Amino acid sequence: MKRSRSVKLVAMGTGLLLVAACEESKVDTAMFESISQCKGLGFTEQECISNFESAKKVHINASPKYTSRTDCENDFGAKQCEVAPHRTSTGGSVFMPLMAGYMMGSVLGGGHRSQPLYRSRDDRSNFRTADNRKIGSTIGRTKVAKSATKTPSVKTRTVSRGGFGARARSTGRRSFGG
Amino acid sequence: MQRITVKPREDWQATAEAHGFRFHSPENDTYWDETACYQFSLKQIENDIEDPTEEIEKLCFEVIDRATNDEAVLHRLGIPEAFWEYVTDSWRNQERNLYGRLDFSYDGKGPAKLLEYNADTPTSLYESSIFQWVWLEEAIERGIVPEASDQFNSIHEALTSAFPEMQIPGTLHFACCKDSDEDEGTIEYLADCARQAGLETRLIYMEDIGIDAQGRFTDLQDTFISDLFKLYPWEWIMAEDFGKHVSKCGIKFIEPGWKAILSNKGLLPLLWEMFEGHPNLLPAYFESDPSSKTLDGTYVRKPLLSREGANIEIYERNTCTMRVGGEYGAEGHIIQALHPLPDFDGNYPMVGSWLVASQPTGICIREDKTLVTADDARFIPHIILD
Repeated sequence: MKRSRSVKLVAMGTGLLLVAACEESKVDTAMFESISQCKGLGFTEQECISNFESAKKVHINASPKYTSRTDCENDFGAKQCEVAPHRTSTGGSVFMPLMAGYMMGSVLGGGHRSQPLYRSRDDRSNFRTADNRKIGSTIGRTKVAKSATKTPSVKTRTVSRGGFGARARSTGRRSFGG
Repeated sequence: MQRITVKPREDWQATAEAHGFRFHSPENDTYWDETACYQFSLKQIENDIEDPTEEIEKLCFEVIDRATNDEAVLHRLGIPEAFWEYVTDSWRNQERNLYGRLDFSYDGKGPAKLLEYNADTPTSLYESSIFQWVWLEEAIERGIVPEASDQFNSIHEALTSAFPEMQIPGTLHFACCKDSDEDEGTIEYLADCARQAGLETRLIYMEDIGIDAQGRFTDLQDTFISDLFKLYPWEWIMAEDFGKHVSKCGIKFIEPGWKAILSNKGLLPLLWEMFEGHPNLLPAYFESDPSSKTLDGTYVRKPLLSREGANIEIYERNTCTMRVGGEYGAEGHIIQALHPLPDFDGNYPMVGSWLVASQPTGICIREDKTLVTADDARFIPHIILD
């Protein structure tokens, strides 16, 4: 036989960007605003501190980055932003939101690392991950979607867009491939 | 090789929609056309298409070996000097390629003749791999074609097994231009294959790609792009604003930079120069080469970088008998001996032979009413039946 034995599509025709969230399994974790809150809710001091410290490290790289404090505060609220240890190529300051809490790592099984949590200006009650995923308002033990426990991506600050595409605009063709 | 008129499935449009095939009839023109199919013998497929495809890929690699050791060749291909080192390094570092399509003129009798190599941004992939396959299954089930019919089409299996070998540690981004259903369908399909292979994927338009202060490319979530499948020609990337960041941005591109050597029509004269007389090659010369006179006034003139048949001219006895409009050609031309596509009742089929990870995996047939297969050609399914 010179053809595929079977063909299968997992996402095409169902809307590629919509498939991730449904029927996803949940994993056990816990979320806290501070180390003291963590200690009061059944974890050892060492667990609380080491998870906080490692979330803080992820925070430096994965938190959203801004080149102005105003832009950052527009998203996270007044006095909710700090200066990041990064610099722009011209030596300017970079801003990022303050950590509003942290998600515990694999002390509860599940194999994920601890990570920072944030609260946006227009939704103060819920925690969000550094990838802007809303994961509920529970303090203490909870369940969250497995994909939300993934270590958030490293963020940079995009300084310009649109440097590709000029040729395509000038052709007006049905396809730019061939 | 025969062209057989067959009954279209009554519900094929609904089937197309259900399989995510949105561009089957762009602007109400026919693109997917199952009022006919081409029938080949197994021998024709294996001896005349599959084996030559594998062999030509090897010859192409010899051309790349030569080009990456001789700047004069890169210069003749019109590759900007600023990218010579990048292209050469991508080959020396063995950056992996995913797919490509060799286009042949083949009539079922003589050897298939290579017209060009769509090595960088081939489309019509999804309809070759999936919808043509679905057509055959249903056509057998409904008695439209004999039960013993087969198809040269293991493209889907090849793609899903190729992605895990691409050495992609993080998220693989897929990019194409805005406003092309066909291109978007192609990257959605490839992303689907990559997901089945266990990769994380994200789609972005080329126009939306950003750059950060360190010269790294970013997506709309301000995440760095580490691996990028781009359905966007290398020669455009090299010519545009962000092109200058390519060599330092740290991205691994699919297709890799060395595909710029193969997707260039200059490949054809280089192949002829190195392997003159090969049964699957046509005589071809750079236009500026005095040897081009040997074609004696009957030839096809092609810009180095044209796509979708644009700016192709056919000359017979020094008279231009056909000219397709377009915006290419400033970069120079090649001329290639005229080997007209075969005529099946006023239809001119071109056989596209797919390679995945450099292995032949299937064919597609696109048919035009003229000798030049342009972007309004129709896709005709095929069967193998002895």
